[in-house]
Amino acid sequence: MSRRPLLRRGFDRLKPQFRPGGRFAWLQSTFEAFETFAYTPATVTRQGAHVRDAVDMKRSMFTVVTALMPALLFGMWNIGYQTSLHSADWPYAAGAASFWPCMWFGLVRLMPMIAVSYGVGLAIEFAFAQVRRHEVNEGYLVTGLLIPMIVPVTTPLWQLALAVAFAVIIAKEAFGGTGMNFINPALAARAFLFFAYPARMSGDGVWIARRMWGADAIAGATPLGEMASGAARPSASLLELLAGTVPGSTCETSAVAILAGAALLLLTGVASWRIMAGVVLGGSLTGLLFNLLALSGAPFSASAYLHLPFYYHLLTGGFLFGAVFMATDPVTAAQTRTGRWIYGLLTGAFAIVLRVCNPAYPEGMMLSILLMNCFAPLIDHCVVECNVRRRARRGKEVSQ
Amino acid sequence: MPDVIKVRKGLDIPLPGAAAAKVDAADGILSYAVQPVDYVGFEPRLLVREGDSVQAGSPLLCDKGDDRLVLASPVCGTVRRIVRGDRRRLLAVEVERGSTETPDGLDKPAPSDLSDLTALRRRLQATGLWASIVQRPFGIIAPPDSHPKAVFVSCCDSAPLAASCDITLRGREAEFRRGIEALAALADAPLHLALRRGQALAALDGMPPKVKVHYMEGPHPAGNVGTLMAAVAPLNKGETAWAVDPQDVACIGRWLITGRYAPERVVAVCGPAAQQPQYYRVTAGACVASLLSPHLPATCATPRIIAGNVLTGRQISVDGFLPARTSELTLLPEGDRYDFLGWLRPGFRKYSFSRTFLSGLLPRCWQRRMTARSPRRVPLFDTGCHGGVRPLVFGEPFDRVFPLDIYPMELVKAAVVGDVERLERLGIYEVEPEDLALCEFVDPSKTEIQTLIRTALELCRKEAG
Repeated sequence: MSRRPLLRRGFDRLKPQFRPGGRFAWLQSTFEAFETFAYTPATVTRQGAHVRDAVDMKRSMFTVVTALMPALLFGMWNIGYQTSLHSADWPYAAGAASFWPCMWFGLVRLMPMIAVSYGVGLAIEFAFAQVRRHEVNEGYLVTGLLIPMIVPVTTPLWQLALAVAFAVIIAKEAFGGTGMNFINPALAARAFLFFAYPARMSGDGVWIARRMWGADAIAGATPLGEMASGAARPSASLLELLAGTVPGSTCETSAVAILAGAALLLLTGVASWRIMAGVVLGGSLTGLLFNLLALSGAPFSASAYLHLPFYYHLLTGGFLFGAVFMATDPVTAAQTRTGRWIYGLLTGAFAIVLRVCNPAYPEGMMLSILLMNCFAPLIDHCVVECNVRRRARRGKEVSQ
Repeated sequence: MPDVIKVRKGLDIPLPGAAAAKVDAADGILSYAVQPVDYVGFEPRLLVREGDSVQAGSPLLCDKGDDRLVLASPVCGTVRRIVRGDRRRLLAVEVERGSTETPDGLDKPAPSDLSDLTALRRRLQATGLWASIVQRPFGIIAPPDSHPKAVFVSCCDSAPLAASCDITLRGREAEFRRGIEALAALADAPLHLALRRGQALAALDGMPPKVKVHYMEGPHPAGNVGTLMAAVAPLNKGETAWAVDPQDVACIGRWLITGRYAPERVVAVCGPAAQQPQYYRVTAGACVASLLSPHLPATCATPRIIAGNVLTGRQISVDGFLPARTSELTLLPEGDRYDFLGWLRPGFRKYSFSRTFLSGLLPRCWQRRMTARSPRRVPLFDTGCHGGVRPLVFGEPFDRVFPLDIYPMELVKAAVVGDVERLERLGIYEVEPEDLALCEFVDPSKTEIQTLIRTALELCRKEAG
């Protein structure tokens, strides 16, 4: 034991102070959070299965964070790129939309948002863990990154902080913390902003970062915004939608980057492929159904939205991001395999229905997932109840 | 047409250190013990005192609730010590084997005929052999008058490094066969025998029609009684079944043939920390010290000694005693070391069912090379939890290793709450903790699922009877 590394020795020396009876016993959870962050604990099994899988909650959550990286990095670049298209506000040489200036511009815009999100959220999480004498849960590592990724880049930091506090306290800790919440906290934050500060969350003026405070908003409609205002097609080409070089919430635009994350999630088995497949299938089928309605001359068939080919729906707005990172949240999604299919299909379907039938909300994905979050326990209940019925019937047959 | 039962969900943990097919007799062991803690729900009352001389098969303990349920001394000798734990809880009755083996003084039954089943039951109970019959649900000793719906014997334990029945029953085929016939007659119900697909047991020809043979195929828990039961005769509320370990079946058979109570067990000493793992022939309840000493690693710290397999076994000390129904002693390195940024590093040498570590994403041949490499400083499998306890979040891994038509996550959550009615509706009576052992293994939240299920079963037993 003499050759323990310096950091380990430091932790071991401080530990007694944070144990019950120690001087800083009231900070035990905080100490444990930092200690287990640096070192996977040395606890051993006591009973039951003596050997355990190497995976733990930190690793699972870290895998999700890794999967978010392509979308995050692309989003960073895209913030710069979108601004560079408006030369008046672009601080660098006109037309210099090369890679590094765009990345730097995006980094400077996005980092404060991420810092605020993690700072406020983790502070609340630590406080709750401390009061409840729990260990700090890793769930917020994902939530805290997701929130800045799904809001417009122009969201003021104080609004973001407020939304984060709302999400962590009301959507999560009020129900008991990670594992007990019934709606996705990241989407709760976005919904909070959407309804509390609608002017900041929709319209054409919020999607592109400005050079400095006080300047006029830069108009740049998202593809969904264009559709909502009656365009026949988004002005961006399919290739642009696929690559994501369009205005939108900071990190939701690039299908390619999101699919790279999806590939990692599916490869590692952290997210449910049933939900992802369900959402995409549900969205596609509903899109196709609307196309058919449009052809058949049903009411509203004049609406351009009905004529929009279904694959546009999948590539615009937050559909893919929601399908890959939001709907698959293991806590708020359905827990049973059959339930996951139903949950996924309905999430995809409702997202398209909301987009097409209610132009007041250009983005249907957020509301659709929140809606299905509320119904996930019901779906599970029905699936489990089928199993229970089957068992009861079997028992009855035997007793007769 | 053989009845093949295919199990698709499950996991074979590639634990190194399987026992070689070599059986040595371990005759020199002097101390033996009967441990009531091996028997779920058994409340012991002492029938002997320290210094009493006992015969093989004479009762040492009986159940407070039903004195027909007894635990008998495995050898002739004297009661050396009565071991008590906290709050004077009776832990073990140690018997020292006498220097001269006196023939047992019990009435020789010559019970070759199975005509008087009531008398046979009584005699089995008196010799303590009855205690090897486990009742499902609850995992308790079958009540003396119980009439099960079916009897299950699994000869294909699929747990990691489980002892193979081909070796443990070798030379005892006739006894095993006799035991099977007796159990089928006693229960007056179908007896389901599970074999691994391709396994041939010499004793099986010309079995009575009540005996049905099933061939299991697939990863662990294919060999669990719970898996077989779910496939052929799932238990409903109020129904009971018996489950008997194949080696105990052979012991019953031997008693029926010879009239002697000689509970022999063949035990594998195996595991990642065992040197030259192999099998030993011992008497039940033997002190394991002399079995283990040739296999303990010479240099590093003492590994954990698990009586049973790594998923369901019980930790015992180096000079502990072999618990009932145990066919393996698994030696596993302790994992009490800190892992610097363990959650962040690529993890070339970490075993995980999830593919969140690089080891899981590399091709198979690469993985084999990693696991087969010469002993390294850090063992691939140890007793470490590899993470802190968290609320249940990920349910998907459970679904992938749990083959029964039950929702494991729902069941575990109901067990946490202790909702008896919901547990019953979700099928708690169809499982034993061992059936959810793999769920416990793969759980990233490090929940002690087997303990929860056992507590829930005990709750159901008390509340629902």
